Amino acid sequence: METESRKFIQTVERALAPHRIKESIERDGCIFVEVAPADLVSACTASMSSGAIFDSAFVSAAGPIPSDTFTLYYLLRAPAVSHPMGRMLVIHATGKTFSALSSSVNAALWDERKIMDLTGLKLAGIPDSRPLIFHAESGMPHAHPVGGRHLTPPASTDYPMPGTGAHGEFEVSVGPVHAGIIEPGHFRFHVVGEQINKLEARLFYMHRGIEKAAEGQAASAIMPLIEQISGDESAANSIAYCTAVERALGISVPPRAESIRAIFGELERIYSHLADLGGMPTDVGFYLSASRFAAMREDMMRLNQRVSQSRFLRGRIIVGGVNADIDHQMQGIIKHALADFLQRLDNVERLTLGNSTFLDRVFLTGVVSKRTALDLAVVGPAARAGEISCDLRRALPYSAYALTTVNAVNEPLEKNSDVLSRFNVKLAEVKESARLIRWLIEHMPAGPLNADAVEAAAHSAHAGKTGASSSRAKPPLLGVGWAEAPRGGCTFLVELNSKGVIKRLAGRTASFRNWRSAEKAVLGNIVPDFPLINKSLNLSYAGTDM
Amino acid sequence: MFDTLRTLLEFYPDHVSENSTDPDVKEVARLLKMRPLSPFARSIHVRMVDAGSPNDVELEEGLMVSPRVDAERFGIHFVASPRHADVLIVSGPVTRNARIGVLKSYEAMAEPRAVVAAGDGACRGWPLHEIKSHYAIADSGCVKDVIPVDVSVLGSPPNPYQLLAGILKAGMILDQKSRQKK
Repeated sequence: METESRKFIQTVERALAPHRIKESIERDGCIFVEVAPADLVSACTASMSSGAIFDSAFVSAAGPIPSDTFTLYYLLRAPAVSHPMGRMLVIHATGKTFSALSSSVNAALWDERKIMDLTGLKLAGIPDSRPLIFHAESGMPHAHPVGGRHLTPPASTDYPMPGTGAHGEFEVSVGPVHAGIIEPGHFRFHVVGEQINKLEARLFYMHRGIEKAAEGQAASAIMPLIEQISGDESAANSIAYCTAVERALGISVPPRAESIRAIFGELERIYSHLADLGGMPTDVGFYLSASRFAAMREDMMRLNQRVSQSRFLRGRIIVGGVNADIDHQMQGIIKHALADFLQRLDNVERLTLGNSTFLDRVFLTGVVSKRTALDLAVVGPAARAGEISCDLRRALPYSAYALTTVNAVNEPLEKNSDVLSRFNVKLAEVKESARLIRWLIEHMPAGPLNADAVEAAAHSAHAGKTGASSSRAKPPLLGVGWAEAPRGGCTFLVELNSKGVIKRLAGRTASFRNWRSAEKAVLGNIVPDFPLINKSLNLSYAGTDM
Repeated sequence: MFDTLRTLLEFYPDHVSENSTDPDVKEVARLLKMRPLSPFARSIHVRMVDAGSPNDVELEEGLMVSPRVDAERFGIHFVASPRHADVLIVSGPVTRNARIGVLKSYEAMAEPRAVVAAGDGACRGWPLHEIKSHYAIADSGCVKDVIPVDVSVLGSPPNPYQLLAGILKAGMILDQKSRQKK
């Protein structure tokens, strides 16, 4: 186990000169490697050439406000070679000037554009330097949210979205306010006839600055804020965020709480996937099936209400554990409801997949090639539909999944990476979640629901950590957490001070990772199929924009 | 054919009556009973604009037209453009980037029109209201600071019946507005 995890550090060491690595620590399933700013890109690309997958890039201010010194974190998922558990590789550097990883790793482009907007840093060699978060026509803030440097508004409010230059091509502008009951985002299609040559999405209409709003607050007090990132991923985001905080503070969560959290995560996957499964028939005009899925979703939401007093499973997951039990009676209610649900799901599945009109519309529609998916580091069901295994519950087990290795999560994989594959993957995941919930209920450990005295734990963690690295001036407590949300893996990074107050919160949801694959999935398809393809990926605008 | 019929029987709508144990269903039943015989109160065309909610209000609106709640049986219909709409539902808190969209949608509507602010975010900027001059939020984040609001539906998020009640109230306000015009 130890040698496996050293392997990646050694790879990085081989790529650089060993003396260039300032520090490498392994803890909580993460390997933290500190390098010089000039070595950051080569350290990342070296790790990726030995099998690590780009996960996310985060930034925090390293000096007093207004700061011109920043710490960049590049998170890479390092797969397991022989040990069942992989590791999250966190390569970070602190300095004033950086180069862009996206000049060689396409997947990092949006992450780095976001970093440039947040901090005002200029990353050398970035292929696209248009602002991502800030829309010049909406007015710019006075200061950069991270680091607090003065923000100079751009000279022009133009946001060029060029086409491919093909003969006879014209533009179709859609949004930000759409025709359906969905969130805002602007799409620019470049089409010849009905065929889409290019699509570019301009998002961040929903940017609420949640990362910034969390700063200066107690880590345990901002659960409502985390639950506002994306409504139907409330539980998964809460689990990922709490894990990050708990790792930073050295809190160990009792096993019963982990089980309950996992049950919430799986209940969330069921109702969230039901929205997509119903959405795909809606967008091909097959309302009989769509309304059945919608009714089943409403029933699952009512079950959520009974289990957690919230239709969105909110307010139950807290730092240190959970704040309410799922007692024996409630376990019975869940099991009964799921058995009933699976039976009806079976009927609706036959109704939907037995319909040739539906199959005709979804088969080989909206294909994301495997190469594109790997290039953009796509996660979640969208990746699994193209035979890319990426379930964090298996690859980097967390929470109860780390405890239940004997009953590993089955990961459904499909080949075609079209709308039908995504439909099948989500259907299989709903059934798998139902199975997992039953298993978790039957094997629910006894014991307390949360780690007592969170602050005491924070204090002792602080004492332990400053002892280990006393040579440096009070580094913030760093924690990285992740969870497999319905749409794929989400990752959170927190920097806390010794009192458990947030210095910096940074997060990335699966939707942020996958949006650019939607731009690729529609190529060669017709404009009327765009809603269908978009629904099959079902990306959350709010989760992307944060 | 048999399968289709069987699924039809499984997916029946809720019974909405004043004897219901659910206070939200009760309120909807009360409002349905008292609404006047007027096209504005009984046929309400709704357009929704999301200005910064975490997609929870949209999901609940989607479930409002699902077979269980089935708002269409009460004459409530979601339309594709604000130009077709009598009622605008806005969820929030209103972000800096979404503010223009909210304004333009409201301006595109024909008179008489009514606005429903849906959810704690739209009504009071929650959970960002405590942060003074947050860079990403327009003004206070409240919809009423951007466009005039007729009905506020609190909740995080409000459930489909609470939203339904809000729209029915907006319908009655529309009816009053149409009379004032004459």
